Amino acid sequence: MHSFINSILYSYAQIFFSNRRWFGAVILFATFFEPQIGLVALCGVILSNSIAYYLKFDPQKIESGFYGFNGILFGAAVSFFFKMDFTLAVIAVIFIFITFFITTVIEHYFATAFNLPGLSLPFIISFFIFIVFVTNYSFTSHNYSFALFEETKYSAHFLVKAYFQSLSLIVLQPNFLAGALIAIALLFFSRVLFVLSIFSFIVNILFLELLLPQISANILLITGLNSILTSFAVGGSLILPSRKSFFFVLFSVMIIVILTGFFYRLFYFAALPIFVLPFNFFVLLAIYSLKFRKDQTDLTLLYFAPGSPEENLYYHLTNKARFENYKYYFAELPFFGEWFVSQGFDGAFTHKGEWKYAWDFVVVDENLSEFSNEGESLKDYYCYKLTVTAPLDGEVVKVVNDVENNKLGQINIAKNWGNTVIIKHDFDFYSLLSHLEIDSIKVVEGQKVKKGDAIALCGNSGRSPSPHIHFQFQPTDKPGDKTIRYPIANYLEKVENNWQLRGFDFPKEATIIKNLETNKTLKKAFDFQLGEKYKLEITHNSKTEIEEWEVKITNDNIYYIESSTDDKATFFIANKILYFTNYSGNKKSALYYFYLLAIQIPFCSEETIFWKDHYSIAKLPIKFIRYFSEFFLMLNHFISATGKFSIHTKENSSIIVANKIEIKGSSLFSFIKKNFAGHISVDNEGNLTGFDFSQENKKLAYVKFIN
Amino acid sequence: MNTKNKYERPVINKFYSGMMNKFGSQTIASPLKEIEGKRLNDLTDKFGSPLFVLSEKKIRQNQKSAIRIFKTRYPKVQFAWSYKTNYLNAVCKIFHQEGSWAEVVSEFEYEKAKLLGVRGENIIYNGPEKSRESLITAIKDRAKIHIDHFDELYDLIELTDELKLKARVAIRVNMDVGIFPKWDRFGFNFENGEAHQAIRRITAQKNLELIGLHTHIGTYITYAESYKVAASKLMNLANWIYDEYKITIDYIDMGGGFASLNTLKGQYLPAEQTVPSLDQYADAIANGLLEVRYKGEELPTLYLETGRALIDDAAYLISTVIANKRLSDGTRALIIDAGINFLFTSFWYKHKISQATEADAHTENTAIYGPLCMNIDCINEGMNFPAMKKGEKIVMEYVGAYNMTQWLQFIKMRPNIIMIMNDGSIELVRKAETLNYLLEQELLPLKLT
Repeated sequence: MHSFINSILYSYAQIFFSNRRWFGAVILFATFFEPQIGLVALCGVILSNSIAYYLKFDPQKIESGFYGFNGILFGAAVSFFFKMDFTLAVIAVIFIFITFFITTVIEHYFATAFNLPGLSLPFIISFFIFIVFVTNYSFTSHNYSFALFEETKYSAHFLVKAYFQSLSLIVLQPNFLAGALIAIALLFFSRVLFVLSIFSFIVNILFLELLLPQISANILLITGLNSILTSFAVGGSLILPSRKSFFFVLFSVMIIVILTGFFYRLFYFAALPIFVLPFNFFVLLAIYSLKFRKDQTDLTLLYFAPGSPEENLYYHLTNKARFENYKYYFAELPFFGEWFVSQGFDGAFTHKGEWKYAWDFVVVDENLSEFSNEGESLKDYYCYKLTVTAPLDGEVVKVVNDVENNKLGQINIAKNWGNTVIIKHDFDFYSLLSHLEIDSIKVVEGQKVKKGDAIALCGNSGRSPSPHIHFQFQPTDKPGDKTIRYPIANYLEKVENNWQLRGFDFPKEATIIKNLETNKTLKKAFDFQLGEKYKLEITHNSKTEIEEWEVKITNDNIYYIESSTDDKATFFIANKILYFTNYSGNKKSALYYFYLLAIQIPFCSEETIFWKDHYSIAKLPIKFIRYFSEFFLMLNHFISATGKFSIHTKENSSIIVANKIEIKGSSLFSFIKKNFAGHISVDNEGNLTGFDFSQENKKLAYVKFIN
Repeated sequence: MNTKNKYERPVINKFYSGMMNKFGSQTIASPLKEIEGKRLNDLTDKFGSPLFVLSEKKIRQNQKSAIRIFKTRYPKVQFAWSYKTNYLNAVCKIFHQEGSWAEVVSEFEYEKAKLLGVRGENIIYNGPEKSRESLITAIKDRAKIHIDHFDELYDLIELTDELKLKARVAIRVNMDVGIFPKWDRFGFNFENGEAHQAIRRITAQKNLELIGLHTHIGTYITYAESYKVAASKLMNLANWIYDEYKITIDYIDMGGGFASLNTLKGQYLPAEQTVPSLDQYADAIANGLLEVRYKGEELPTLYLETGRALIDDAAYLISTVIANKRLSDGTRALIIDAGINFLFTSFWYKHKISQATEADAHTENTAIYGPLCMNIDCINEGMNFPAMKKGEKIVMEYVGAYNMTQWLQFIKMRPNIIMIMNDGSIELVRKAETLNYLLEQELLPLKLT
């Protein structure tokens, strides 16, 4: 029952690209300004969803309103255009079935063939069939018109009313008050959509006035509602909101006006109301077209489960900042200890063109010199004959082991790559390690190696004037094939006297880098295993409550911690780092604070390391400022939140992970500055003992783990 | 202006005609007039003679390059400063700042490390004598206790049961690595199964957590490959522990014993030519550890208790010539104001000794004696040395290890120790002893007054 009610409310919300139950409830309420229309629409969705449940369609999809919203539109349209009587009702019920089948087919076909949503196309097709069918007989009469306005155009009163009415007509409500209610709901759901609805409506009027100054108000409403829906789709809901998408809305609205004229004329003689056809036609066309671009970095199409446009944008930006270079196989640096990147990507010497994604590594001393003494012999070079390791698990596919070392300063172009090992990794990509020492390669072709296994020694063979390792990822097993840009899963980069943690990154030229060393204690504390349970005591506003957590996993292998307060924090562990990826639920639970504090934790306890991570500001406790800033979100993303982490070991060897979260506004919002801070404590046996979270200097929560 | 030529004392040298031999021509002494830009005479003027001089820069450099050398060969390395080598606070502190932990072999060293801010967990407690009290402290501090013998193991079993606390222990293992002398008086023997037996006892105790294995094959080892043998043996033992008990140990401690650039008395060739470089020791240890693939969950960390090789060349002893003499056989002798009381290592090393002032290029076989009224007080029985005048300074190099801990307060009070800091300043790090210092500990029974 609960999920059936959800399925109805989410169906209503879907019409406006929303995923909020309350929003659906408001729309449902709004459709009852004209009770008959509201009732038939409600019957439409109840029937649609019942059919879906009865025929055993995916219950999750049904609950999300996926199969219901076309039923709402169909029901509303029937009672909007026709006088309801018994016969018509029977026919309408049959047509709900037709609508449902069209919906399922179009949704599925569009999704698999084009990776597009079906929008309200099923409703339009089904409704056209209905009209053609019904108008051939005379058992019913229709009040088939948009004659809603008698007023003179362009008074302020008229404009506001027309705006509201455009909104209300989306759910086929003639009453402008329904539109006012929808506008308010929009404002609360998404500032971006609210701004877009007004902007697109204004552009629509101006453009219509330019083209057809004498046009009737009815056309204005038709173009108006199409413009508004189109602006939602291309300005925020299907394309992430940005300045560029704002411009795109501007042109889209003008195109919609023209398309409306076209469809109006096309269907005029068939006496079919075009209704939301221009919106469907253009949005599907535009979105599909945008998929063919070579560079998709702007006007980004939605690539994940949608929320509000704001949430979508935050999710995208945070995801990009955190995991832009994420790759499933976790490569490490192919050596022990600290090395220096003597040539990085796009290097000055040989890393150019197709070979630009490669690294050269050497060892340097405190004065950045590569050698001791005068550097006159290979032995003087610190890296000479040092161990080279496998960057990833794999199989050795190529070994060249017999190229003589060059004298210092000389190179061997005939055997450019010198002594080389090529390792094949899963998913058919390869790593190449070159310029190795003659006869130092300890592995043979066909041998399986593990990440970190010693495989050879650094030498000076091939095109190598002084000892160094050349390292690259490539698509084939050919020595020195073109390079692939593949990230190192985690490493430390020296910054003055400290080490900055880098996750899924590319070592930069002229930096000193090393692999992460795991610490048993931290690993034990943060390496959450399926089924682990925790009991905590949270003190919050001087109230103490007990909360329980359990580590679970979803069907698609996403780990999450679920709290007894029904909140969820998803996480994954990449090699040696724990990442929290998302949080949903109450922002007062212990799990929420933990999610914020532990958003990224390496299993490494060197006191000199520090790291940073980005937060989605939607996840931080700063609702009011954020809502306000979202009126301007299409201009810029003004507020950013960064966490800075450090590690401290206490006298009794317990470890504290400290985090400072800084929220900062830019330009218009530069007055915004908020700081949160917190600490997670781990005892010397590797048990989580507690954490605290404070804003400025005020403690917001204090949590203790109870065994 | 017409300056008077410097007076040169006449020397008597045997005349060698013909080709130079395979060691080159005759030694020509070159003076060491300053240490890191500080003139030795200025230093002794201010701090007196004799005087130990330490170099902060050199210590840090040594530790840094040792870390670089080992960490580029083995993925997880931790150094622990061997307190007995030199436990001056200033020295220890520098090593700790460079990331080194503390390796101590007595209660007072343990307390000293704690006073210097080393966390219990970062102290390795070694040595054959550990009192029950000190074991209690170590257990409570979560220090790493390296068990030397069964009696100590029994003490630990008793104590942890009484305290209801867990002790984190390792055993010291001695083994045959093909060198002489075999250091089998420390720890449990590998070959005869004693080590395995100790491990069995430990794993049977719920309050003893076996976290590491330790060996220390000897001192001044000039054959690097011995370390490889030792490392492999320990790694095999670690694998045996994993196979038997599914315990993944945290670390393998290879101890110390790397030779420094001091030449031993019995050695024919100078140390520079015979002593392996740190790279060679590191290669041997890393190869030994990595060749035996570890079966446990995480590769154990390599611990090193290197002492001598990190500090010896960071210290100098400046001394003043008291007198010139000729012995009965005609050998020239110098008497200086620092003897074996301060330069304990001269019992086994031929220390490098240089004059601090520009001297005559000609050298003569010279014996160097200390100021003690004891026959054994001989720093060098005969070396080529230029003629020196009373009051002139000479410098002994590579004196950082053991001298500032094994020195004697015998006949003379121990002198000042200074450190030349990274910023060029000079700090007094240990004051010269005074009579009051001596009397402070003495009690004169009333009956005798």
